Amino acid sequence: MTDGHDHHHPRPASAVELRARALEALLAERELVSTDAIDAVVELYENDVGPQNGAKVVAHAWVDDAYRGRLLSNPNEAIAELGFGGAEGDNMVVVANTPIVHNMIVCTLCSCYPWPVLGLPPTWYKSPPYRARAVSEPRAVLREFGLELGDEVQIRVWDSSAEVRYLVLPMRPAGTDGWSEQELAAIVTRDCMIGTALPVAGQPVGA
Amino acid sequence: MTGRRSSLATIDAALGAGTSLPRDNGELVFEEPWQGRALGMGVVVLDRLGVPWADFQRHLVAAIASRTPEESESAATAYYAAWLDALEALLAERRLVDARGAEIEGE
Repeated sequence: MTDGHDHHHPRPASAVELRARALEALLAERELVSTDAIDAVVELYENDVGPQNGAKVVAHAWVDDAYRGRLLSNPNEAIAELGFGGAEGDNMVVVANTPIVHNMIVCTLCSCYPWPVLGLPPTWYKSPPYRARAVSEPRAVLREFGLELGDEVQIRVWDSSAEVRYLVLPMRPAGTDGWSEQELAAIVTRDCMIGTALPVAGQPVGA
Repeated sequence: MTGRRSSLATIDAALGAGTSLPRDNGELVFEEPWQGRALGMGVVVLDRLGVPWADFQRHLVAAIASRTPEESESAATAYYAAWLDALEALLAERRLVDARGAEIEGE
């Protein structure tokens, strides 16, 4: 029943973490909360919490080549330059998409995720099918996400761990010339930075 | 679930500056999944019971004041540990759940 909430890398749960779980179990028993309801709130706030930090990092890399270089060679410091980082984001690796390489991230063991830049992981990221199939048949998984890549594009799958967390740097889409950094950040979705989607240049959104 | 979900803005307004959610550059900080779930639990329970956030805030102030943070503890860990204390205290006060002991049987 609590499956899916114990998805951190094998390490001893802290006392406070155990307390949180115990309280949740007690509240669930009293039908004051349900796992789904908590998930829904977490998901709702996900957009508030979420991937904006990463989107700002990506957009900044798109408009500033020197920053892009620093981001790829020294991600932790480059991300910290923008004021992000901290626990669990300390060993970031940024992998850049190119016309012939597409990157996607997974955590095959559990759900390690670059929190400080992407917020909370989506439910599917934690699901056993994604974790297994991202490695065994990434192209098929991407197709299910609606992402059809040409045969010439090689797919690289990066397995996150407690030590290393990955962030995908997508390519700046055509049709975004002259867009502000803010407008660019608005089209960088969470999935783009996991590698299960590509940014799409629609109408610029945001101010 | 019925009723409207509290928005983050509602929670921010009720918590005020002294007990505000841990943030970095405006974004919420969850260092570990349990911290997000602690927040989620609070939101679901308060919304479900129709408890005003001001009531929770009162418990949170007390919980923060009475807690001695451990040395190695991060600010977010300390905050959400106090958050759990506050939620437990609120539930105990309303005689709903006594998380520190046995459940309180129905009224």
